[in-house]
Amino acid sequence: MTNWRSGVIPTWCPGCEDYVIFAGLQGTLAKLNLDQDKTVIVYDIGCIGNMADFVKGWGVHSLHGRSISTAVGIKLANPELNVIAIGGDGGIYGEGLSHLIAAARLNIDITVIVANNHLYSLTTGQSSPTTPKGTKTKSTPHGVPSVALMPVELLKTVNPEVTAEHLDCKEPLKVNEAMERAISHKGFHLLDLEQLCVSFGKQLKQS
Amino acid sequence: MDKVITVKIAGPAGTGIKSAGLLLAKMLSESGYNLKDYSEYPSLVRGGHNTYQVSFSPSEIYSVHFMVDIFISLVAGHWQEHSKEFGENTLVFADNDGKINIPFKEMCDKLGGNIYSNTISLGLLAYLLDLDKEFAKKNIADAYGNDSNNLSAFEEGYSWGEKNCQKLSVEKGRNTEKKIIVDGNEAAGWGLYKAGLDMFVAYPMTPASGLLHFLAKNMDEFKIKVIHPEDEIAVASIASGASMAGSRAAVGTSGGGFALMTETISLDAQAGLGVVYFLSMRPGPATGMPTWTQQGDLLFAIHSGHGEFPKVVLAAGDHEEAYELSKLSLNLANKFDIPVIMLSDKNLSESSANTKDFNIDEKEVVVSTKQIPGKGHTIKLYNSYEHNEDGYSVEEAAESKKAMDLRLNKEKDILEAMPKVNLYGSDKAKKIIVSWGSTKGAILEALKEMENKEDFAFLQLKGLWPIDPRIGQIINGFSEKILVENNATAQLESLLKSKMTVEFTKKILKYDGRPFFPEELKEELND
Repeated sequence: MTNWRSGVIPTWCPGCEDYVIFAGLQGTLAKLNLDQDKTVIVYDIGCIGNMADFVKGWGVHSLHGRSISTAVGIKLANPELNVIAIGGDGGIYGEGLSHLIAAARLNIDITVIVANNHLYSLTTGQSSPTTPKGTKTKSTPHGVPSVALMPVELLKTVNPEVTAEHLDCKEPLKVNEAMERAISHKGFHLLDLEQLCVSFGKQLKQS
Repeated sequence: MDKVITVKIAGPAGTGIKSAGLLLAKMLSESGYNLKDYSEYPSLVRGGHNTYQVSFSPSEIYSVHFMVDIFISLVAGHWQEHSKEFGENTLVFADNDGKINIPFKEMCDKLGGNIYSNTISLGLLAYLLDLDKEFAKKNIADAYGNDSNNLSAFEEGYSWGEKNCQKLSVEKGRNTEKKIIVDGNEAAGWGLYKAGLDMFVAYPMTPASGLLHFLAKNMDEFKIKVIHPEDEIAVASIASGASMAGSRAAVGTSGGGFALMTETISLDAQAGLGVVYFLSMRPGPATGMPTWTQQGDLLFAIHSGHGEFPKVVLAAGDHEEAYELSKLSLNLANKFDIPVIMLSDKNLSESSANTKDFNIDEKEVVVSTKQIPGKGHTIKLYNSYEHNEDGYSVEEAAESKKAMDLRLNKEKDILEAMPKVNLYGSDKAKKIIVSWGSTKGAILEALKEMENKEDFAFLQLKGLWPIDPRIGQIINGFSEKILVENNATAQLESLLKSKMTVEFTKKILKYDGRPFFPEELKEELND
């Protein structure tokens, strides 16, 4: 069986739901028996992006917000490759939102997996585009002034032909099944995975 | 020496000035002349004041001239602001507007439309310059298809000339080999194509859009992918992704778009991805003057991207160099897996010349040795974090220093692969002119016509970064050192001084959005 583990020990906090996504991805890649030489994973910047070091496989650990556009470039250059972009809600829905919309409009055959914990956690817990309105965070002591972005609903409006799903990391088996659907899907697929940050998520609960 | 003839056509946008100009250039080229052209236009689609001018000669010509021999105002009111460009013998044609009266409106009415003044002018010019009439008509038919009114308009202009004017005494053109008419953008496009371009990505921005249009138009024939994504950030990251997947990738933009791409230039350097950034400069800051020219982004290009890393910056001086250096840029990007910035400016990008047919050249392709997916290569992570040779992140002191050194050490080999300088004139001359980019044309044209040309040598730099410190020795071999730049702050001087000891005795700087013309340079050089 193909080894998809680099051997680098993950650096996420104990109890982080990024482990659920990591394990799910490893299992799905193995189960689908993807050709390792023809599979490229593009990682955004953020906690989940740090998975780049833990995976053995072709990859780009790109810039913040640019995982999707980098993935689009890879797929356009060589359509035979399986291309997966992984990022957080900050990179995919904030810094790189225009790239998400453009890739969905194009319905390009890539999979986008988002670890959506409603916070910027690697930078110690500022608000993200999916933080509920009113939440007090380090960058929004008076509460987030904007309404939260609804990514799955947004993409339905952008291009009804693309598929987008929202699941909760509290249900790992369902996440695994969804990941299999996402990667097997021909066309653009967004898999939005709900998480609660073990280190900075308390502020979300309080709000 | 053969006399240079300059023709200028002016009028509001939307009257077909550029298309008539390019037809005239084609007719002149096919008549065996060498030519350079230049257009001015404001950033709007209809109205305003546009000009097209072309200078031609049977012998070599390096840039358009300021002084005009034949001026045609397609609509009344478009010659007055050009009176400084008229000499004693300049023929100025305008419709009932105080100059040689050519009844454009009356002729257009007869033809049934007001859009034929440009083609009437071509007829008049064909007569005045004694160009082959049937040849001209064939070109007009090719350009305007079945609109027979354009052929009638040409005939009208020609016979109006016969009745009202005398043919000019002009030396016949002597070229016999096939030449093509290209602007700097198209020449760059040919260069990228001949270096094995696989993918071109761009977001429209004047004056670089012509490269996007040229490659998009030819994408099927060239078997390349041409992508116009959502913004310049996507442009750059798509190109980097494509490079990672094994494509030979280039992007095109001007200063504002390039600003958005700089994070990706840094990524390319860190991850080891070769991408060409074609940067056609226009006056800034900010939106600046979109349709005018300036060499204001040299230091920005050299310093683009956060962090310390090797990159290459090249600058083309003319159309042949736009071709050769663009070819080199893609090959250097792939040889060293680094970002390469290929500089042009509005003056080169949107001005045309007749050059050799680039398409007859064989491709010259230097292939990257980096590992790419899908080919059975050893798996690798391309990392924006500092990393080891497999691509995995490192932060430990010794390892991170080693990674930095490995990257910076590329610069020695890069320097050896850089294009050499052009040194014109004798190394015994008293004075040396130092410049870079599209100022080359006006400088060479000025020197061509100067009586004391033996006093001058001209050093043109094509490789701006990394800069060869030996350039200082060349410059210091001359007693008078004259800097010529199309910018306000003498950026080349700053660059040279950062790496070598050079003192210029004179600086000729122009930063009003207009290129240098040979006449003004002649005066300034002798001042």
